[in-house]
Amino acid sequence: MSPLHLGVLLALAWAILALGSMHRKAKAFGPASTFAKPAGDFRRGVRYAFTKGMAPWAKESVMLNLPSYGAGMVFHAGVITALGMLLLTLAGLRPAGLAMTLARLLTLAGAFAGAALLAKRLVNRELRGLSCPDDFVANLLCTAFALLAFAASFSAALAGAWLTEAILLLVYAPMGKIRHCFFFFTTRYHFGAFFGRRGTFPPGGSFHA
Amino acid sequence: MPELDQLESRLDGLGEADFQRGLAVFRAKLKQADASYLNSCVHCGLCASSCHYHRMDPTLDNVPARKLELIASVFKRNFTTMGRLAPALVGARPLDREMAKAWVDAVFGRCSLCGRCSVNCTVGIALPKIFRAARAALGAMGLVPSDLQATVDNSLEHGNNMAMTRQDWVETVQWIEEELQMETGDPEAKLPLDKQGAKVLFTVNPREPKFFPLSLQASAKVFWAAREDWTMTADNGWDLTNYGLFNCNDEQAGRITQNLVDAMARLGCKTLVIGECGHGFAAARWEGPEWLRQNFPFEVKSILELMDDYVRDGRIRLDPARNPIPVTLHDPCNLVRHGGICEAQRRVLRQAVTTFTEMTPNREHNFCCGGGGGQLAMARYKSRRLQAGGMKAQQIKASGARIVVAPCHNCIDQLSELNKEYQLNVQIKTVAEMVADALVPNS
Repeated sequence: MSPLHLGVLLALAWAILALGSMHRKAKAFGPASTFAKPAGDFRRGVRYAFTKGMAPWAKESVMLNLPSYGAGMVFHAGVITALGMLLLTLAGLRPAGLAMTLARLLTLAGAFAGAALLAKRLVNRELRGLSCPDDFVANLLCTAFALLAFAASFSAALAGAWLTEAILLLVYAPMGKIRHCFFFFTTRYHFGAFFGRRGTFPPGGSFHA
Repeated sequence: MPELDQLESRLDGLGEADFQRGLAVFRAKLKQADASYLNSCVHCGLCASSCHYHRMDPTLDNVPARKLELIASVFKRNFTTMGRLAPALVGARPLDREMAKAWVDAVFGRCSLCGRCSVNCTVGIALPKIFRAARAALGAMGLVPSDLQATVDNSLEHGNNMAMTRQDWVETVQWIEEELQMETGDPEAKLPLDKQGAKVLFTVNPREPKFFPLSLQASAKVFWAAREDWTMTADNGWDLTNYGLFNCNDEQAGRITQNLVDAMARLGCKTLVIGECGHGFAAARWEGPEWLRQNFPFEVKSILELMDDYVRDGRIRLDPARNPIPVTLHDPCNLVRHGGICEAQRRVLRQAVTTFTEMTPNREHNFCCGGGGGQLAMARYKSRRLQAGGMKAQQIKASGARIVVAPCHNCIDQLSELNKEYQLNVQIKTVAEMVADALVPNS
């Protein structure tokens, strides 16, 4: 195993342990009390939150901002694909044929989408005002990770750069907003449970005419 | 001294002990779900378009994520490792005078706690829960706007938020009873007070006896038609409102809820029925048991659910032809999005009116009228409240309806102001008023 491979593994272990520790810290705040009799089933709410509730048409905010939402989805797809390629690389495997073509497509598109979102964050005054340095660092790390995954799939000479970038990304992940890769799921769970218990989810409302 | 100056001087007088007290309350209010929410925002900014404040005044300060970030920055600074090690990188900031001022402006002045941003958040962050924790912290620092706190104090001191005396309340009920008897022609039509062992204890918003007696009369007429075994109480426990939901002081909110619990025990009723009031329903049905840390030994229902039961069970009969004017329905946030009462009012209205048109959007997607979150009690934010209510005004105009039914008295207050501000020329009524008008006397 090369030092870079080892470095990636150590960084991955750090990310998992640090995120686990943050999860324990969050849990230490304790559960909300639930003395009020439920009106609905929290499990149905959770199910909705992770299925239909994730659909673009379930949220007016998404439908009004489809290009940004689409870019975000492509960005995430690219980074997740790059992560998949990283895991395969650590296992000594390499996608081939159609899988490789698809991986290249997704990582390249993801990198472009990430760059577009970064540009938007820089240019849009409101979004810039919302941002802290972490927003830019996180985007740059993820965009570079996807881009280098794409590039390294063509040139073995770039593998070192990609693995180094992967180490940086994994080390940084629990420190900044990339930790939402974990907290997204806990938040989504609590969100669904809250509205499910109150009988609001699954919903029957519409923002369409 | 004007309220604005009072708050400024309170801010100026804050010391380290105040900030520590605020932080302790903030920490105590946060639960694991909230800690997850505070770790989840990615600053995508898509929530902006979901907020009625931002839709009517698209500035950074009105973006829900911005309001959240003000609070999250303090969370990071005090409760996360990176916030302590590299605050500038992750946007962590201390709770100081400047931040306290920003919190007041964000969570009292630019948010009605409607939760529309929650259902539109791409991650699913329940922002109002965090804003409530911030309001509680500000309360611990003496920074609740005094007119909002005065409403809570009225409830604590007088048992109702308008400081009505027992005599005024009882005499108003008696007067409405006479009116009901004249309207129905039935000398047995009653507004019972303190009837021991009645099945239903009905509670009202003090606005009804004080300013809108016809609203209470309409509810009473529905109970009369359904031959309900009901009562109200002459003593504490008749007022359903609880502005403790808005100053977010759980101890005070619990004491106000205790009035209802005590009245139920005193009269031996089985079902606590909350009149048409969004926050009152949320407070009694959802938050009250948590504030008092007990399972209520009785059922809590909205009068909307009760009327729905009456229609379904044939206990009342309605003739929609008696309400021929086109009607639309406002969904109060605390009743619908946060309360889960979405369909009962619709089923009832469809039976009670000839033309019922939904607003767009509706149900859990509906826009707040702008009067929620205690906004109606905070005079300093009136112009913002009316501006933010512009979204609701647009919805009403687009519906083409001439009557807006709003099952919430706070919403009715705000809608009445919007009616003038935006020249909507609509009537604003409760569901019970529509039902009372459509009643066909049982043989």
